Amino acid sequence: MTELTEILQRQLALKLLKNGFHPEQVVTSAAALSCYGYDATRQQTEPMLALLPENEEQVKTILKIAGEKSLKIFPRGAGSGMSGGSIPTDDGIIISLTRMKQILEIDEENMIATVEPGVITGELQEEVSRCGLFYPPDPASLAFSTIGGNVTENAGGPRAVKYGVTGNFVMGLEAYLVNGEKIKCGNKCIKSVSGYDLTSLLVGSEGTLAIITKILLKLLPAPETVKTSLLAFASMSAAARAVNAMLKHQINPSTIEFLDHHSINAVRSALPFTLPEAADTVLLVEIDGPDALVKAQSEKLSRLFQDEALVLIEAKDENEREQLWLARRKLSPAIANIAPHKINEDIAVPLAAIPEVISRLEKLSQEIDLPIVCFGHAGDGNIHVNVMLDKNDPAQAIRGHKAIDEIFAITLELGGTLSGEHGIGNTKSAYFSKEWTPATIATMKAIKKAFDPGNRLNPGKIFPA
Amino acid sequence: MTMTQSEIYQELKKCVKCGACMAVCPIYRQTGREEMVARGKLNLIEIIHNNRELPEAWIEAVDHCLLCCSCEENCSKEVKITEVIAAARIHQTEIKGLNKVKKGAFALLKNRIFSIAKFVKLGSLVQWILWRRLPRHSGLVRRLPLPGIDENMVVPILPRRNLDDILKKRKINPQLPSLLFFPGCATRYLHPQMGLDLIFVLEQLGFNAIVPTEFNCCGMVTWGAGDAATNTQLKEGNLKVFNDNAQVKTVVTGCASCGHALKEYDNLPQECEILDISEFLFRHKEKLEQLVAGRNLTRKITYHDPCHLRKGQGITKEPRWLLKLIAGENFIEMRHPERCCGAGGTFGLTHKELSRKILKEKTDAADATGAEIVTSGCPGCLLQLTEGAVVADSSWQTEHPLSLLAELLRNS
Ligand SMILES: Cc1cc2nc3c(=O)[nH]c(=O)nc-3n(C[C@H](O)[C@H](O)[C@H](O)COP(=O)(O)OP(=O)(O)OC[C@H]3O[C@@H](n4cnc5c(N)ncnc54)[C@H](O)[C@@H]3O)c2cc1C
Ligand code: SF4
Ligand code: SF4
Repeated sequence: MTELTEILQRQLALKLLKNGFHPEQVVTSAAALSCYGYDATRQQTEPMLALLPENEEQVKTILKIAGEKSLKIFPRGAGSGMSGGSIPTDDGIIISLTRMKQILEIDEENMIATVEPGVITGELQEEVSRCGLFYPPDPASLAFSTIGGNVTENAGGPRAVKYGVTGNFVMGLEAYLVNGEKIKCGNKCIKSVSGYDLTSLLVGSEGTLAIITKILLKLLPAPETVKTSLLAFASMSAAARAVNAMLKHQINPSTIEFLDHHSINAVRSALPFTLPEAADTVLLVEIDGPDALVKAQSEKLSRLFQDEALVLIEAKDENEREQLWLARRKLSPAIANIAPHKINEDIAVPLAAIPEVISRLEKLSQEIDLPIVCFGHAGDGNIHVNVMLDKNDPAQAIRGHKAIDEIFAITLELGGTLSGEHGIGNTKSAYFSKEWTPATIATMKAIKKAFDPGNRLNPGKIFPA
Repeated sequence: MTMTQSEIYQELKKCVKCGACMAVCPIYRQTGREEMVARGKLNLIEIIHNNRELPEAWIEAVDHCLLCCSCEENCSKEVKITEVIAAARIHQTEIKGLNKVKKGAFALLKNRIFSIAKFVKLGSLVQWILWRRLPRHSGLVRRLPLPGIDENMVVPILPRRNLDDILKKRKINPQLPSLLFFPGCATRYLHPQMGLDLIFVLEQLGFNAIVPTEFNCCGMVTWGAGDAATNTQLKEGNLKVFNDNAQVKTVVTGCASCGHALKEYDNLPQECEILDISEFLFRHKEKLEQLVAGRNLTRKITYHDPCHLRKGQGITKEPRWLLKLIAGENFIEMRHPERCCGAGGTFGLTHKELSRKILKEKTDAADATGAEIVTSGCPGCLLQLTEGAVVADSSWQTEHPLSLLAELLRNS
């Protein structure tokens, strides 16, 4: 911190304390601030000031005071982002929303929850399930990421294939513009077409348009039963055909996860059941809903694939279900044994392009002489691509980075997108102009300017510098 | 349990900053402060590694930890977080020394002349001057305003005779197979009845519990406070007892924290096995089920997982089996039995306000079950829970599951 920022920091802190902030809500020491300068991308910055408002009035106060000095603002949830969205790229104020964590209402009649942005997603799920309701979006980070972060990254998970991603559940929002004015969008109505759909615009906006302070979320009745099966196939194309067949035969799985053969090899020994050597691709399929329907659909699933699948295991109880999921859960630690580091991207492609992507990535892996492990959401085309390497070896590091360029090129060529769920942040902004035309980007920038003319809210994200 | 510099460094490097340790951290749940969670603490410890100058934020963060292992239970990288924090506390003690109160208290643990036993006996004589008995709970609260002690703070009633005194004249049956019973300070000096209950249950099962008076404190509290020297001294004393009794292979304890600490000792004699009492009983499932013979307690009970049992030793199913055996349908789970009660060794004393906030979530969960008894396999948790009941004006009692079992067996 320079002397100037230090003076500024002290002035701001004093002012906020005078305005009713508790010292616990104002983080000023350099050491403590270093804990607000990273996220799951492991970038490390040294923030100038972090504030933890407890209600929207305090958010407004911060924005007003910051506005007087034209300071930059960086919103932050749990800091679990995988694209650097919450990283302060410059001097400015971090607004951490983790103390705004009240579930304000669970409206059982309309099946809508109203929450503050700092609510942990898993805790919301638990709370609504006590009323027999269900909030389906299930990013793997649901036990620790915030709803606010999920909304602004439009987070998704395995259940997206049936239920959609976070954005599909956001009915309305309240948010503060960087100048301290409040906007409201959406409502509790199922049909609502009055004016521009600002709700959808704010979903996935990565904290660059407004600070979200209240969220209306659609809920569903909780499914009666979930049935989990694991199927192994001899090739990725066979697995892809299977996915297609399921959907065509009106089996409507809530989850279709896949593991490629590198993933299978990595976890095989950690599993309580055997997977044959010939298994090239594994699908983890879940069907949920009313008892009778789930039963009928699972039977159909077995019938359809009893010949083609090398393995077909159906979980009979919760315990067996957990065992099948081990294949997916043990994956991250297991692939860590392949190489000390990984570069992971979360590309998404149209469903039909999955086998093509996988085979081209296989070829790429041979070219650059680094293992590329793929797994992810076969039902929605979202693939986690992991380039395994030792970053301390300069030659490998160079090849790894080259691989990323290639992965994005292949993805875009096949009609895919840079990110299925993690967002662009500051780690993928350099590739942004490869996906969108200059006019498209200019339109997005014009929208950004309408919300934030001074480019003070979460600058340095999404758009290339 | 004490790590070398390079081991600490290795652990620090394992952290990928995913944030999975945040939402479960009791301190974070109350404060929202990121330097207080495992990820933040590790970050601070890493960037200020080896420094002689410790910034205030570092000290605060390292100090604000219950060593509850909730973060470790959720860390996919298996970073040994609490060990790193304990090592950081040792580092701090080396630079700044130990605070006076802790220094005095720990001296009692290792001093044989003015020992904790004598301190408690003295206290048992004078305690009624300052403290009065609680009408509904076992424990005392202050009579007069005392500095640093509010009207709800519960202290245990200090017994005139400790476990060693009571056992002096005990006759043991030499025919029975023996095992060592490590009572731990709380059971030994503050709540000897719990020790007698455990000995009684083991006898019913056909075992002799030997309780050597040479046992020290397990060292957990000194480890947590960064007092490496006292910790080593205590551990060595205990290891000597284990070695002197090397023919006895099994050591049981009814204290979650002691069990956690003992299991982490390096150099335990070969084949020596430390078991929590619930683990031991589970191994003798059939016999115990016969003894209980279908009788049930008729009062509703619930259970709080001690952090050092669940997250420290991975024990969850054995205590639940035991409680179902004791109470059948009358055993009801509370919401989030795994959440820390906020006791955390001396944390409840040094950070009263925060500890009470953490405790509040727990007492609310216990209240919601409608239970008459809240059980937990840790004397520290039990004391904290009793305080919680007093603060919340709840009517439930607190008991160790083992005392309930003993009650059931005695009434047969
Ligand atoms: C182990 C692990 C697994 C993961 N799995 C998944 C997964 O399966 N699917 C998935 O989609 N993601 C996943 N993620 C990524 C991450 O958890 C999500 O992006 C999540 O939505 C981020 O939430 P957060 O609370 O941590 O937000 P942060 O990381 O703190 O912030 C994310 C973005 O939101 C902005 N922001 C936060 N709150 C607000 C607000 N109230 N108003 C305005 N802007 C705000 C920030 O500025 C930033 O741009 C995973 C991450 C990890 C570490
Ligand atoms: S859960 Fe483990 S790896 Fe993740 S941030 Fe916390 S300590 Fe680091
Ligand atoms: S041990 Fe408990 S209190 Fe300490 S950092 Fe981990 S979760 Fe938080």
